[in-house]
Amino acid sequence: MSRGGFAGKVLRVDLSAGEIRREPLDMALAERYIGGLGLCLKLCHDTIKPGCEPLSPENPIILGAGPFVGTNLPSTSRVYSVSKLPSSRTIGWCGAGGFTFGVMLKNAGLDHIIIEGRSPKPVYLKIFDDRVELKPADRLWGRSVDNTCQALWDEFGMPTGVMCIGQAGERLVPFSMAFVDRISTLGRGGFAAVMGSKNLKAVIVKGSGGVKVADRKRYKTLSKAFLDKIRSWPHLKQAQELGMVQAFSFVPRDEFARIKKRRAACVSCPIGCKDVVEIPDGPFKGLVKCTSSVINLYTPALYGFTDYRESIKCMVTLDEYGLDMFEFFGLMAFAKRLVDEGIIPRDAAKPEIRLNSLDSMETWARKISFREDLGDVLAGGFNGIIQQFGEEAEKLAPALVKGMHPYAGPGSAISWDRFGTMELGQVLDPRGPHVGSGGSPTYFASRPLKVFTQHLKRMGAPSEAIDRIIKNADGPTDRQELKVGALLRYSHAWFTMLGSMGICARGHINRFYNAEICADLYETVTGIPTDLPALRERVDRVWTLYRLANLREGLDRGKDEIPPEQWFSKAGFKNYLTGEPLQRSEVERMIEDYYKEWGWDPKTGMPPH
Amino acid sequence: MAKYRIDVATENCSGCSRCELACSYTYTKAFNPSRARIQVKMSGADCSVRFSEECIECGICVDQCLYGALSKTKKQEDQP
Repeated sequence: MSRGGFAGKVLRVDLSAGEIRREPLDMALAERYIGGLGLCLKLCHDTIKPGCEPLSPENPIILGAGPFVGTNLPSTSRVYSVSKLPSSRTIGWCGAGGFTFGVMLKNAGLDHIIIEGRSPKPVYLKIFDDRVELKPADRLWGRSVDNTCQALWDEFGMPTGVMCIGQAGERLVPFSMAFVDRISTLGRGGFAAVMGSKNLKAVIVKGSGGVKVADRKRYKTLSKAFLDKIRSWPHLKQAQELGMVQAFSFVPRDEFARIKKRRAACVSCPIGCKDVVEIPDGPFKGLVKCTSSVINLYTPALYGFTDYRESIKCMVTLDEYGLDMFEFFGLMAFAKRLVDEGIIPRDAAKPEIRLNSLDSMETWARKISFREDLGDVLAGGFNGIIQQFGEEAEKLAPALVKGMHPYAGPGSAISWDRFGTMELGQVLDPRGPHVGSGGSPTYFASRPLKVFTQHLKRMGAPSEAIDRIIKNADGPTDRQELKVGALLRYSHAWFTMLGSMGICARGHINRFYNAEICADLYETVTGIPTDLPALRERVDRVWTLYRLANLREGLDRGKDEIPPEQWFSKAGFKNYLTGEPLQRSEVERMIEDYYKEWGWDPKTGMPPH
Repeated sequence: MAKYRIDVATENCSGCSRCELACSYTYTKAFNPSRARIQVKMSGADCSVRFSEECIECGICVDQCLYGALSKTKKQEDQP
């Protein structure tokens, strides 16, 4: 059988020396680490100078797209980046979909890009098939994300894949995000600051080489059956209509209907959960926004914005600078509290910090992104503020995990109170709190346990593991048991499997996949013999290497994997099954269960040699 | 191969490129949107769909569209 899926080349860019070279992809390595996310983690592990500073030239950027990216398998557009992230100071992944970047990367003959060093001047990396150049970015530096994308598209035409940073990334804000094709984010943790530290404004890519599959006949059969399954899904139309709004009641559907301009989809996605909206009236009438989801545009509403038009305008501003919304609002709430308590002098906080005011929030977004006045301190993130204002400030800090603000929990943007895998995952993913990797049915409260059994089977968990995780699924509720920690181990494995192949992990897509199908499709597309046990082994190798790479960086179970005190306050999390207030001892047990289920030392989380 | 009249409702298009991917795979044996005979361009809220002169109206692109942006009607001469 011939090989397919992989483009077959890795691009290595030394920004310090201005050198670029193409290397053949090591197929033995690709097989061992699957591709995409898995291979990004392996290449980072092998390239990074252990202990390096996140914003130093020694910290590499590894970009990659898995073997399914570029095919028409449903929702296979994922691009991953791996670097040491400045917020968490851990090696972490960032992932994005997007319109063209991943597909173009593969069509340009590349599976991965390794970017090292630091350019003496701002540059962007231009990849047009075999023609690869570092181009001066003088005319792009200082521009917003939106403006940068548009300038590049105006010059090079559509479709051109664009990954770029805004002003916050240029000024090394540790909660700045890079954007892919203007709509998707490589977010949380400060990946854009890593690009900024390298004077790398953008990567653009266009390719025409094509992506092949190894077994065309089998591909035709499998992909047709797959598409038929999606087409006959009774909720398809509703999912296409509402996207993420289905799951989030804080977006009023009448408002959504008023602003919705069109549904947008990442490449090959049959659901299309991204949104293009337009403000229909008022002072911002005609403002069009392409967004990863309309729910993001309502985040300011969670902090008190009452006019949805102002909420959208605020998010447009944050996205233009390239700021992480969760971190920004969490930080502003913290700064306001410090002003109210007299720790930050009121005179320094001009204009007044008002979380529900568009003027105030836009001004502070600018002051942070351009590091003006107190904005320069806030641009240091929670750690920067605590360093500046000391212990008194630290006592008033919100819940923090690895220096970042959890997105879910008491005091966070999303106030779900049931403690499931995503909530626990905020502590146990080495990259720090991120919505991506810890998904499971605990995403929704009060799901029946039998749903978990099906989900675990779909993720490829062995039956003996399912028996350990769920007890008395059909019995009375007071005798039921769900081991959230052990379940999270399989959520992380499932995320690894999807990300390494290039499949979107959002629930309404990954519901169509299962581990057996993934193994089948992987063999069909790549030609690499793969059954479920072999795939499981590779997945486990990837996530274990991810942990080892971070242990090498100093990740400390006793320091970095501690659930914040606020989670156990009166308004804190509740046990997923019973609804009783969550106890610290329960979470400690979950963490041990998680380590044990991976086969790691239950006390230290150290994988065996 | 049957020929179809292909109708486009750009307002339903999501820009997913499934049509371009399927077309290029059918005629070049590789997924290669730049060589597809249907070209979709999305820019903000605007969308355009064009067919190249090479297009033989086979309707493969329509079969891949799950958004109702493409539809096909069998052409008169192919009907019994």
